Amino acid sequence: MPGMWWWVGASLVVGLLAAYLTWTVGRVERLRVRAESAARALDAHLLRRAAAAAVLAERRYGVELYAAARIALDAEPEEREAAENDLTRQLRAVRLDPADPDCEAVIAASRRLALARQVHTDLVRDARAARGRRLVRLLRMGHRHPWPRYFDIDDPTLALPADVPA
Amino acid sequence: MRIGIVCPYSFDVPGGVQNHVMDLAEALIGLGHEVSVFAPADEDSPLPPYVVPAGRALPLPYNGSVARIAFGPVSTARVRRWITRGDFDVLHVHEPLTMSVSMLAVLSARGPVVATFHTAMTRSRVLAAAQGVLQIVLERITARIAVSALARKVQVEHMDGGAVEIPNGVTVAKFSHATPLPGWPGECDLGEGGTLGFLGRFTEARKGFPILRDAFVELARSRPGLRLLVAGPGDPDDLFDRFPAELRDRVTFLGLVSEEDKARMLRSVHLYVAPNTGGESFGMILTEALAAGTTVVASDLDAFRRVLDGGRAGLLFPTGDAVALRAALVGLLDDPARRAALTACGDQVVAHFDWPVVARRVLEVYAAAIEATDGRVIDQEWAGLG
Repeated sequence: MPGMWWWVGASLVVGLLAAYLTWTVGRVERLRVRAESAARALDAHLLRRAAAAAVLAERRYGVELYAAARIALDAEPEEREAAENDLTRQLRAVRLDPADPDCEAVIAASRRLALARQVHTDLVRDARAARGRRLVRLLRMGHRHPWPRYFDIDDPTLALPADVPA
Repeated sequence: MRIGIVCPYSFDVPGGVQNHVMDLAEALIGLGHEVSVFAPADEDSPLPPYVVPAGRALPLPYNGSVARIAFGPVSTARVRRWITRGDFDVLHVHEPLTMSVSMLAVLSARGPVVATFHTAMTRSRVLAAAQGVLQIVLERITARIAVSALARKVQVEHMDGGAVEIPNGVTVAKFSHATPLPGWPGECDLGEGGTLGFLGRFTEARKGFPILRDAFVELARSRPGLRLLVAGPGDPDDLFDRFPAELRDRVTFLGLVSEEDKARMLRSVHLYVAPNTGGESFGMILTEALAAGTTVVASDLDAFRRVLDGGRAGLLFPTGDAVALRAALVGLLDDPARRAALTACGDQVVAHFDWPVVARRVLEVYAAAIEATDGRVIDQEWAGLG
């Protein structure tokens, strides 16, 4: 009975297609969730750095650094990248002594922020690549969520790591 | 922190990645973390207590060389069991793009995954045929580490992602506390005595041994008591044929040495000479010589200049210039104060490569990976970073 084999073949194809689509939906969703977590971690590290800079400014460096830290803390989402870059510039302009605990807090916060930014950029790239696949766009998978956004700031690392002399 | 580390290559054979994994694991344990290392190895081979053997690795021709790897349903089941039982805060895999337990672990992992890329390999032929598989592996990795600037460049240019550059570490205490070989390094006075060291394959052109040979032969004729200590693979006859008959008794050949004897060898010389003419991406041996407290004389390569802090921690000579090397050797052998100044600076430089210091930087990457996975923020103290 050739008709039966036809049905078996067709249901096998449909089954495989369904499995692939289910897996793809899961993949897009998993990468989106991860990019969001990375964004929350990045946000936390931005706040930590700005807070550490504000503490340092109150004790030692005064108005300009304090203002930059305040602006970074209070920035609206669309102004935040510029405000954070401005804070990085201000921090680079002052001399930070690693032996001073307040300075060390800023240096450590900047180092952790640099890592968080690196990871966030990679994870957003993965999430956007998965979302941008043709089949995913065609079937409008994940369309209820906005596209994951890059957070485009300069590398906030303050000093070159001492083991990599320029 | 509970850390699971996966090494793709068998612990039954020595190798750079295996040493790196062991040193990192021991440094992390020393900082108070719980570490389990999963690696291919025979069940009955002697292993450190923190290693879980993944079973025997099969020698397979792979990517132009023979790799001993474990890959397949049995290995997959073992990896999964190890991950489930380990309940790790973070999984750290090495060389995840080799067909190995590293790749299996990445594909089985649920939580944060940190991957370290050692070689500057772009992509294997097997994976080039399956671009989709490569992407699936890469997108399960949360944070990437590259051990050299070159490995990092490959990440950025070919794998479409960034990586944090964290260099190889060196266990400074192992070198600084090694006992010199009996009778070495001997006397070194004004105009006489002194011992030079060379480690590596003396037949390989880019290691630059002929440059050191020329400088040594000239200098030994005018300087009584000058000796040369050579270690590395090769045939002794082949080495001694390179020296005039009357100088052969002033050359000592150790052959291939163990890690432990390497440390003793480096402690047994006044000057360690690295006359390489190129092809060095990092210069691990220089950090080891500095850790041993030995004065280093090296050719002026980019990699060496970086390790030697631009020449403050060791003397640089123009690459390939035997006459300049001889002048540098005379100057240093006759000037103990200058040698002491260079090694004092060397101590400062090598402190940045000490494993506990390097391991703290790796821990920060772990923290970043964990944070990016569930969005919480980790205290410096919790990660042992304080």
